[in-house]
Amino acid sequence: MMRRLFIAATAAFWLAVAALWFSAPSRPDESAAPVPAAAEPRYTLADLAKHAGAESCWMAIDGRVYDFTAYLPKHPADDAFMLAWCGKEASEAYRTKTRGRAHSKRADELMPPYRIGVLAGGG
Amino acid sequence: MTTGARHPGWRRLAPAVLAVMMPAALVAWNAPDGLPGWRQVGIASAWAGLGLLLASLLLMLREPRLASWLGGLEAMYRWHHRSGTLGYALTLLHPLALAADAWQEVPSRAHLALAPWSQSWPTQLGWVALLLLMAGLGATFAHGIGYRRWRTLHAALGAAVIAAAVHVFVLLGDTAAAWAALGLAVAAVGWRLLVVDRGLLAPTYRVERVEHVAQGVIEALLRPLGPALRPAAGQFVLARFLDGERYRACGEFHPFTASAVGHDGTLQVTVKALGACSWRIQEIAAGVLVRLQGPFGDFLADADAAPQLWVAGGIGVTPFVAALRERPCPKPTTLIYVYRGDVDAAFLDELRATPAADPNFRLVAAATGSAPPDLDALLDQVEGLAGRRVQVCGPAGLAAALLPLLRARGVPPGWVRHESFDFR
Repeated sequence: MMRRLFIAATAAFWLAVAALWFSAPSRPDESAAPVPAAAEPRYTLADLAKHAGAESCWMAIDGRVYDFTAYLPKHPADDAFMLAWCGKEASEAYRTKTRGRAHSKRADELMPPYRIGVLAGGG
Repeated sequence: MTTGARHPGWRRLAPAVLAVMMPAALVAWNAPDGLPGWRQVGIASAWAGLGLLLASLLLMLREPRLASWLGGLEAMYRWHHRSGTLGYALTLLHPLALAADAWQEVPSRAHLALAPWSQSWPTQLGWVALLLLMAGLGATFAHGIGYRRWRTLHAALGAAVIAAAVHVFVLLGDTAAAWAALGLAVAAVGWRLLVVDRGLLAPTYRVERVEHVAQGVIEALLRPLGPALRPAAGQFVLARFLDGERYRACGEFHPFTASAVGHDGTLQVTVKALGACSWRIQEIAAGVLVRLQGPFGDFLADADAAPQLWVAGGIGVTPFVAALRERPCPKPTTLIYVYRGDVDAAFLDELRATPAADPNFRLVAAATGSAPPDLDALLDQVEGLAGRRVQVCGPAGLAAALLPLLRARGVPPGWVRHESFDFR
């Protein structure tokens, strides 16, 4: 019984992984393409500071401004880790996770949909 | 001290309760509210899988007192296997559910959830845990794999659970649940490797005498150097022989049935050469030290309840010899003893002489050579079979062949017990 479960679960897992990989797009995703900075809204640090809680959480990372309100509940770590940076310039925190460890490439890939503009005077 | 009494039914359920409560507690403690469906499934399956894997680790701790609380080693190992496999299946669901969540959000990026090379090292550690689980369980379920190789690959499962707990700990930070999971995993694996497998709490005995009782079978008389174990007939101990003057031990614990227990604390164990380690044990001599764990098991615990039919295949005769040496049979008892040839048949002369001193005991001995035994013909020789409790000790194939024949002769399946002493 357990042997059959092991074989069935393992086979189903690899089939699902293979299916998702074969369905992956062969050319770059256009939704991830950078938007020209001049066309984007510009926000100041004072604008950011008005969105410093779970009800509205904006952050500036590397000169770009993100609205992470919808993402907050999905973050793997405890809410408090991310909430502490709402309304702030969080580039260093993003790069080090406050413990000297960088976020993954996948985390980078997840960010574009949350981008709402650029930081005025930032770069 | 464990005795030969059968563990109460509610205690035999204890490992199942542990295997349900551990994942339920972790999910209730950690499952977040208000997330999209697949993300919720991904997080809940991770905690449930980890809970089951932790339960599986606890159920591999081969301590006599713990085994007594948890309904015996047999029940513990049964649920060790079940919780480990179910935990693995739920762990596989975790990345798939996260990928499904990513698909709902941005389909073109969903495959990145299943791409370890694009992820951070804590997430990659989760993949390492998953692949170690896959390799370890693959070896566990593989047919025909040698004991040593099986043992090494099976140990990968312990490393896998620790890797999974570290993955959770690093991703979630210093939360109480992450600390609890990591602490439990490290403590269970550490206890197994440093205390159980090394026998640090196991009483030490000295080999006093060794007799060759059949081809490739020895019986060793062991005298305690300190506190003594008191196994009942039918119970077994795990023994790890230590290096002697001319004996180089294999350093592993293996199960051996007690064939006699002396009032002075001495113990006799029978060892048949079945694998590399038990072949080496054939060379032990007086003076060698041995650590014993146990006693375990409740085979023959209900031997007083009704007339008995005992069926032994080869070295499986040992627990029955122990029972006959302990005292005369309280109820009419027939032993069917099947073996290849007289030269392989341990204790045959002793068993043939027993009916003269014990009128309740009858022996039906059959040398089968290389052919399977004619069980139908042997069962025909047992009077009042339908009213007897049946105890079978031998290869799984023997029990499998017996069950339909016994059922056809009116023996309810619940009256048949099988002991194979296989602890993989």
